[in-house]
Amino acid sequence: MNLIKTFAFAAAVSMAPVLAHAAPETPAMAEPASGEILMANVNGLVCDFCAQSIRKILGKDDAVQKVQVDLSKGQVRVDLKPGKSLDDAALEKLIRKAGYSLVSVDRNVAK
Amino acid sequence: MPPRYLVAGLALAALAAPASARPVSYAGGWTAMQENNGMYSSLLVHYSPTETDSIGLYVEQNQDMDQTFTGLQYNRLVRRWNAPQSQGNLYLKLGAGAADAFGSGGADVGTFAGIAADWETRRVFISYDVRARDYGPDETISHAARIGVAPYVAEFGDLHTWAMVQVENTPEADNPVTVTPLLRFFKGPLLVEAGYTLEEEEFLLNWTWRF
Repeated sequence: MNLIKTFAFAAAVSMAPVLAHAAPETPAMAEPASGEILMANVNGLVCDFCAQSIRKILGKDDAVQKVQVDLSKGQVRVDLKPGKSLDDAALEKLIRKAGYSLVSVDRNVAK
Repeated sequence: MPPRYLVAGLALAALAAPASARPVSYAGGWTAMQENNGMYSSLLVHYSPTETDSIGLYVEQNQDMDQTFTGLQYNRLVRRWNAPQSQGNLYLKLGAGAADAFGSGGADVGTFAGIAADWETRRVFISYDVRARDYGPDETISHAARIGVAPYVAEFGDLHTWAMVQVENTPEADNPVTVTPLLRFFKGPLLVEAGYTLEEEEFLLNWTWRF
C-alpha cells in the first residue's frame, strides 16, 4: 500500500517540472557582436547545478552577453557586450554569489 | 526531544562527512525537492535569498511515525569547501510547523533539526545526513549516509549518471538499518533518483528541480 501511495504521490508532483523542462532552450539567432572575452578559473565546479548557478548569476549582469562553463577544466568563459567591462572584483563577487570561488582571470582570450 | 539525542546526533554529524541534494541554491534561486520512500514522502520548495541561506515550505507525510508535518524549513550553508576538482558542504537545517497524527483531528507543534554534509568530485560522492524530529508525542532521530560513483564523466548539459548506495539508521523503526541501492540521473536543472530499499521492500523516488 505504501508503495502505491509513494508512486502516486511521486508521479503526480514529478510530472510538472519534467514537462516544464521539456521545451529546449531558445536557440540563438545570429550571433551578435561581442566585446571582451574573459576566462575565469573557478574552484568547486563539479556538477550541472554548479554550472547552472554560474550561468544564472552571471547572465543577469548587464555587462554579460554569454556564459559558457567547462566542468572538466573548471573554467567559465564570459563574453561581454561590446563596450562593457567587468573588473576582477565584480567578477569575483558574482562567482561568490553563485556559491563558488574565483581563482584567476585571463583577459587575453582569443575570440 | 531529549537534549542528549540532539547533541549526540549533531556531534555525530559533525564528525562524519556528507547529504543527497543541496538544500541551498544560488542567490535568487528557487528549488523544489521531493523525496519518497516506504517510510515517508516529503516536498520542500525553497528560495535562497543569499548563497548561504534558504527558506521554504516543507510538507512531510511520515508513514513510519503516522504523522503529517507542514511547516517552514530554514537551511544554512555553514561552510563550503571549493577545490579545483571537488566541493564539500556543511549544512544546518531547522524546521517548525504543525504535526498532525493520522486520524487525530488535532495538530501539535512539530520541530526538527538536522545537519548534512557532502563531498563530491565528478567521479565520487559521499554524504551524511542526520535529522532529529519532534512531532508532538513522537520523537525520532535518523541518520543516512551515501556513497556514489559516476561510471562516466559528463559535461554540462549532458546526462549525468550515478550509482549509489544509501544506508539509513532509524533506531525506533521496525527495520532500524536499511540499505537502498539507487541510480541518480542528473541533467540541467533536474535531478532524479530511483532506488529500492531491500529491508522495507519499498521503492525510492526522489527529484530535485532548480529554477
